[in-house]
Amino acid sequence: MNIRKLAWKNLLRRKSRAVFTGLGIFLGIATFVAISSITSQMEGAVQDQLDRFGANIVVSPRAEQVSLGFGNIALGGTEVAHSRLTMEDKDRIRSVVPFLMTAVDVSGKNLVWMGLPGTDVAGARPWWKIQGRAELQPGEVLLGAEAAALLGKGPGRTVTVGSRSYRVAGVLQPTGEKEDGMVVADIADVQALAKKPGAVTYFEVAALCKDCPVEDIVAQIGQALPGARVSAIRQVVESRKAAVDQLRRLGLGVSAIVLLIGGLMVLVTVMGGVQERTREIGVLRAVGFRKRSIFSLLFWETGWVSLFSSLLGAGTGIAVAYLASPVFGIEHPSVVFSPAIFGAVAGLSLGLIGAIPPARRAASLSPTEAIRTL
Amino acid sequence: MEPIIHLKDVSMVYGCNGTRTTALGGISFDVLPGEFVVITGESGSGKSTLLTILGGLQVPTGGAVRIGVADLSALPADGLADFRRETIGFVFQAYHLLPYLTARENVMVPMSLERVSPREKVERADALLASVGLAGKEDRLPSQLSGGESQRVAIARALVHDPPVLMADEPTGNLDSATGEQILDLFSEWNGRGKTVLMVTHNKANLSRATRFIRLRDGQVEEDRMLQSPPAEPVAV
Repeated sequence: MNIRKLAWKNLLRRKSRAVFTGLGIFLGIATFVAISSITSQMEGAVQDQLDRFGANIVVSPRAEQVSLGFGNIALGGTEVAHSRLTMEDKDRIRSVVPFLMTAVDVSGKNLVWMGLPGTDVAGARPWWKIQGRAELQPGEVLLGAEAAALLGKGPGRTVTVGSRSYRVAGVLQPTGEKEDGMVVADIADVQALAKKPGAVTYFEVAALCKDCPVEDIVAQIGQALPGARVSAIRQVVESRKAAVDQLRRLGLGVSAIVLLIGGLMVLVTVMGGVQERTREIGVLRAVGFRKRSIFSLLFWETGWVSLFSSLLGAGTGIAVAYLASPVFGIEHPSVVFSPAIFGAVAGLSLGLIGAIPPARRAASLSPTEAIRTL
Repeated sequence: MEPIIHLKDVSMVYGCNGTRTTALGGISFDVLPGEFVVITGESGSGKSTLLTILGGLQVPTGGAVRIGVADLSALPADGLADFRRETIGFVFQAYHLLPYLTARENVMVPMSLERVSPREKVERADALLASVGLAGKEDRLPSQLSGGESQRVAIARALVHDPPVLMADEPTGNLDSATGEQILDLFSEWNGRGKTVLMVTHNKANLSRATRFIRLRDGQVEEDRMLQSPPAEPVAV
C-alpha cells in the first residue's frame, strides 16, 4: 500500500465521479486535437495547392505607370518609362518559363497568342485539362475553348496565319480564365509571328515549395534584374491560408473554452469529493499523514483521471480528425501527432491545476475538525 | 521513573461568534510508562477533548503537554503528524476503516508513507491481523466484517508502528458486552507487554482492566485513583 495505490483504489470506488471529473478534460482535449489536426492538414493541403500552381513569381518589364481612375472607373494610365526583357534574362534566374503574349489575326479573327516553350506547357499550367496533347512541337498550337469554338477547329485540324499553317495539337477545356480565348503555341513560333525574335513578355518562376521564402526570392530576382518588375502571385493562396488561420483561431478559442469548463469541472468535482471525504481525510491525518501526503493523495487521484481522459481525448481527437478530413476537403488524410502530444500534456496539466485548490483545502483540514465528524 | 505523559495546566477553550466554551480548565497529571489509564466522565466533561490533545490531534489553548520527549504544544503540524504516526496508536469508537480497502490494506494505510517493500508491508499487516485473531480474513472488506472484527482491524492498524502509547475513545461503545470483553483482552495483552494504554469510556466494567482511574467533571480532574500496579517492565517512548 502506498499513496498511488490508495488514490487508485479510491478512484475505482467512485467510478462515476471519476468519469464525470474526466469528462470535461476528455471533451476539451478531443476538441482541441481534432480542430488542430484538421487545420494543420488544411494548411498542408493549401501548401499542396500552392505547389501545384506551378509558378508563384512573375518577372515582367518594369513599367512605371501611373494608374488613373476614380473608384471602379478606369481612366487609363500614363506610362512614364519602359524596360524590355529578353531570352538572355532567362539564364540569370533558374526554374523559369518565358512567356510572350501577342495579338495575331487568325482566319480573320484577332486572337491573343500565348507563347511558351512547347515542352513546358504541362509544367507551367498543371491545372489545364487538354483534349489532345499537352506537349507542343514547333508548328503546333493549343486552342482555348472559346477560341476553338470561334474558329470551329479541333485537334488534328489546322489554323492558318498568313502563309503559315499550324496544326491543332489539342483544345483546352474551359477554365473560366483568359486562356479560353487564346491560342497557345511554342514561344519561338509566337516570336516569329510577332516579328520579335528573342522577346519575352514575362517570366514565371516556379520557386514554389513548402515554406519557401518567396519574398526573399522575389527580392533576389529583383536585384538580379533591375529592369524587371518582380511580384509574387500568392494572393489567392494567401486568402485561403487566412481562412484556415481564422478556422484555427476559432478552433483554439472553442477548445480553450471547453478546456476551461473542463478545468472548472475538475475543481468542482474534486472539491465536492473533499467535502464528502472529510472523515476519511481526518482518519488519514490521525494515523500520521502529513499535509503534503494528503495533497499528494488528491493530486494522484486527479492525475490518474486527467492522464486517462487526456490520452483518451487525444486519441479520439485524432480519430475524429482523420474521419472528418474529407468533409474539410483534405484529399489525403494523415495522422498528426503533435497536437495530440500537446493536448495530452495540456489535459494532464489542466487537471492537476484544477485539483490544486481542493487539494490545498483537504491538506489544510485540521484533523480535529475531521475527527469531530467521527 | 520518568512519566511518559506529562500534562501541566492544560486548558482548551472553544470560541465561536463571541461564545466561549471551556472544555478543559487547567488539567495537570502525569502518566507513567506501562499504566492502563481509564478516563471516565459524563458527556461534555472534556474526556474526548483530553484524548485528542494527548493524541496530538489538536493543540491545547493553554498549558503544556509532553509525551516522552516531545513537547506537543511546540510541534509544527508536520511534526505532530510524525508524532501521531510513530508514537501513538489511536482507536476510535466507530472503527473508521476505509470502506474500499480490505482488512489487510486498512492495516497497511499508516505504512503508506514508509519506504518499505510491499512484501514486508503485507507480512507485517498479516502478522498483526493474526495477533488480533483475524487470520484468514485479511482480504475481507469492512462491510464483510462484524463490529468486533472491524474494531480488531482498527486495533491492528493502531499497532502497526508498535507505538509505546495506545489511545482509545470508547472502543467498546458499539459492541456487545462479550465482543467488548474480547477487545479489552487485546488492550490488556498490549498493556501486559509494558505499553501504556489510555482509554476513554463510559463503561465502568472496563475499570477491571485498568491500573488507574481518572474521572473528569466540567473540564477538571474530579478523581484520580490507582487501581493496581502497572506491569513490571514498562516501555518508554
